[in-house]
Amino acid sequence: MDFFIRNKTGASLVFYILFCIISMSLQSTSFTLSIEGVASAFMTPFQKLYWYSQNNVRKIWAGFTDLNTLNEELRLTREKLQSYERTAEDLTEIKSENEKLRRLLNFGDKVGYDNVPAMVISKDPDNWFRTIIINRGSNDGIKINMPVVAFNADEKAVVGKVIEVRGSVSRILPVISSDLKIGVMLQDSRSPGLMQGSSSRPGLAQIDYLSKSVQIPSNVYVVTSGQGGVFPQGLLVGRVSQTVVTKSSAFQRAIVTPIIDYNKVEEVYVIKYVPGQELVELTQKEEQKK
Amino acid sequence: MILVYILSAVILAVSLILQSHPSFDAIRFAGVKPDLSFIAIIYFSYSFGSFYGQTCAFITGIFQDANSNSPLGLMTLPKVLIAFFAGFVGRSVFQGSSFTIILIIFVASLLKGGLTLIFALIFNDASVASLLHIVLPESVYNAVIAMPLFFIYDKIFEFELSKERY
Repeated sequence: MDFFIRNKTGASLVFYILFCIISMSLQSTSFTLSIEGVASAFMTPFQKLYWYSQNNVRKIWAGFTDLNTLNEELRLTREKLQSYERTAEDLTEIKSENEKLRRLLNFGDKVGYDNVPAMVISKDPDNWFRTIIINRGSNDGIKINMPVVAFNADEKAVVGKVIEVRGSVSRILPVISSDLKIGVMLQDSRSPGLMQGSSSRPGLAQIDYLSKSVQIPSNVYVVTSGQGGVFPQGLLVGRVSQTVVTKSSAFQRAIVTPIIDYNKVEEVYVIKYVPGQELVELTQKEEQKK
Repeated sequence: MILVYILSAVILAVSLILQSHPSFDAIRFAGVKPDLSFIAIIYFSYSFGSFYGQTCAFITGIFQDANSNSPLGLMTLPKVLIAFFAGFVGRSVFQGSSFTIILIIFVASLLKGGLTLIFALIFNDASVASLLHIVLPESVYNAVIAMPLFFIYDKIFEFELSKERY
């Protein structure tokens, strides 16, 4: 025991290294998942607390701003009883905010599928992995592999898919991650390809296996093909920003700028589309016919 | 020393929550955001020695891995190793000039990035291009913001550092 106390730096270093190497070797086993679960469960309330407090501080700050504006208006009214410019400005501000909120409310209907609206409460703290954590989980009916969409202005587009679900939070793997592969096609030519996040161009994605015979105009829309069963067909993903043709490859590659900017996404909609559900229903119908 | 433990825990927790908050993406530069918790860990190693720094690195790393999509240990191990070595270039060896701080954080971030890439290639999946797209810009970013952070931490831990005559 004395040895460990005297050499605590070396002993603890060896323990830490062994722990990390063992846990990296035992990826996704009950051992690592339970440790991650405990640590994540410990962190989530603080993250939610921070998120809620930030929102409340915003509201309080907005309250102070409104109060100052009202005071100013009162002073102006008492002094001159003529200037309503500030009030008009405020009304414009409130109107635009109101319109924004109404638009958000309507977005839920515009998704086109049964969906769960959610807020982004956290993202990967490092630069190596890109995932999003939302404030909805299995308690809200969210399941692994459900597709997630969001709106950029009026355009509805894919954000990614759910890869981890806990009680009140879920983790989303975005389209810019190289771990997510989606069957896509070009909207105009219907040429199919396989899209994944680009590892050499952070924030962008790439489509592989596109036929060389296809002419790809710049800014052409990319939509999901429905192959693979996770994403319904026809969901907007991004726009082609560049094409790469190499002599050595039988295919060409397209670089895609996602419609939804990972750095700016705040509100998302989890589509309650159980992957492969249509296939299961079709199989069941076939069996019933027999 | 109890107060140092409490303050360290608060600093690390706040750093981790801040850098995982969605609004932190607003300060992304060249596609990367700074690693606040890593800068704090290096500060603890630099000021209070290897054991303290590597223990902080281990605990913070576990929480970071749990909050990230990385395999448990991938972000922890490089931090632990760098914190161990950063303890050797502590205040007793290098006095805290601005240049020293920038250099230490830049080199430490480069090494951390290099180690993360190696471990990711072995245990997960990574691209060597990450050296250019993640490691280098993050190291520069960390080095730039390290100076004001070290200044703030120096003020916070002034009571303890003055005991050790720094």
